[in-house]
Amino acid sequence: MTGSNRLTKKDYIITSLRAFFLQNGFNYSNYQGTGYANIIYPAIKKIYADNPEKLKQTMVDSCDFYNTNPHFLPFITSLHLVMLDSGLSEEESRGIKMALMGPLAGIGDSLSQFCLAPLFSTIAASLAAEGLIAGPILFIVAMNFILTTIKLTTGLYGYKLGVSVVDKLSKQMSTISKIANTIGVTVIAGLAATFVKINVPISFAAGELNADVNQSIVTIQGMLDKIAPSLLPMLYTLIVYYLIKKKGWTTYKLVILTVIIGIAGYGLGILS
Amino acid sequence: MEITIVQAVLIGLWTAFCFSGMLLGIYTNRCIILSFGVGLILNDMPTALAMGALAELAYMGFGVGAGGTVPPNPIGPGIFGTLMAITSKGNITPEAALALSTPIAVAIQFAQTFAYTACAGTPESAKKAILAGNFKKFKVSANTTIVLFAVIGFALGFGGAISMDTIIKLVDYIPPLLLNGLTVAGKMLPAIGFAMILSVMGKKELVPFVLLGYVCASYLKLPVIGIAIVGTIFALIDYYREPKVVEVVAEGGKQDDWI
Repeated sequence: MTGSNRLTKKDYIITSLRAFFLQNGFNYSNYQGTGYANIIYPAIKKIYADNPEKLKQTMVDSCDFYNTNPHFLPFITSLHLVMLDSGLSEEESRGIKMALMGPLAGIGDSLSQFCLAPLFSTIAASLAAEGLIAGPILFIVAMNFILTTIKLTTGLYGYKLGVSVVDKLSKQMSTISKIANTIGVTVIAGLAATFVKINVPISFAAGELNADVNQSIVTIQGMLDKIAPSLLPMLYTLIVYYLIKKKGWTTYKLVILTVIIGIAGYGLGILS
Repeated sequence: MEITIVQAVLIGLWTAFCFSGMLLGIYTNRCIILSFGVGLILNDMPTALAMGALAELAYMGFGVGAGGTVPPNPIGPGIFGTLMAITSKGNITPEAALALSTPIAVAIQFAQTFAYTACAGTPESAKKAILAGNFKKFKVSANTTIVLFAVIGFALGFGGAISMDTIIKLVDYIPPLLLNGLTVAGKMLPAIGFAMILSVMGKKELVPFVLLGYVCASYLKLPVIGIAIVGTIFALIDYYREPKVVEVVAEGGKQDDWI
């Protein structure tokens, strides 16, 4: 390898951990661009220690628009730094940096936002619902432990291996996120059945009205439960799902709809 | 229950920390974490946990922004909702607090959009600072948003805590029909969160797992971790049945390097 080769493993680890700062300067013009430049600053300061003009130019170029998943960012910064450190110019390495932005955002978001967060969120909420402090603590510790591990792992992976591995990584990640998706969907369906609560308080006397003998009271809720437990919560979740997926309803509309149903249902004595 | 100035300041600082934590990606800006801190500061853990659990589930799906919608901010129920539930001493149920604090959550979302827009000029000043060789000034530009978030977070937490008396008094004017109706609605709100997240993750081939989760919860009454394990079993069976994926995993000799 030509170039300066000034970076050690430690620099890559530090840069990987600096990924936490990615969104500290988030804004609507270059999104995470300034944050990206800030993350790699200590490392490229080392690479271009005797070339201040090159340092300035690289920093300005690094401020380009950027938007990806913070937890998988270290993979990109490591590759980027390996290329710069081995003498490639910012121009040449920029292509890789930009090409990785989209795919890694997709992998990262599906793993962190759609799998890990819902999974731990639901587990934590069910612990908290039972009055256990362990709920919130478990959530924050587990999420950060896993996400920091991902940062370090992807950062070191990017440092150790060449550019050709991106395809393989995304295949593995899609397998992992498929498994996590399956678990997530199972858990969320179960939670919808337990945590969404809709009760029908209507009851009526079965058979002829008879004042003396033990009159059997039939409740609508009891009948519904015999057909299928948590039938109404599941149906309501399905209706909302349909409105989101097929009708493109926003959360605001859905919240308003739910509040109207709640008030009207209570007012009419149908729901409690 | 009265909130002292010290408690209000602490709630402000806690909100500032959690709200800025959203940018750091450390998952602090979640209902369950926000309400946990409020419970700790006001010394009412049971209410805070009940509120946090309910709101966390209702807001879980809101973080995923399906189709570019702007999600309501968890500070609404996490801070304001928890404050309502605790200070009203049970007059406002967690369900009602969830429904009452959702408009606040929407308003906070606008504050967030405002902060991102207000910082739109920082890349320019960052570049200027770099070209001038002033890297300290560059660092300031690169951290503007998080500082602004901390300031907004503090204002929200502190402001909410000291004005809670007034807010609770206003709630007293709400007719019982509306308040009870809101409680009913609050119990239904988690459906939106679940449906939202299912709409992002859900594919046709996952329908059996929706039924699996439902049966485990409703008929078998399994706790969540049990459901998660059952889900894992089926996911793993599915995984080992797919020969192609196994090949990919088996072929790479260098794979061990990164795990």
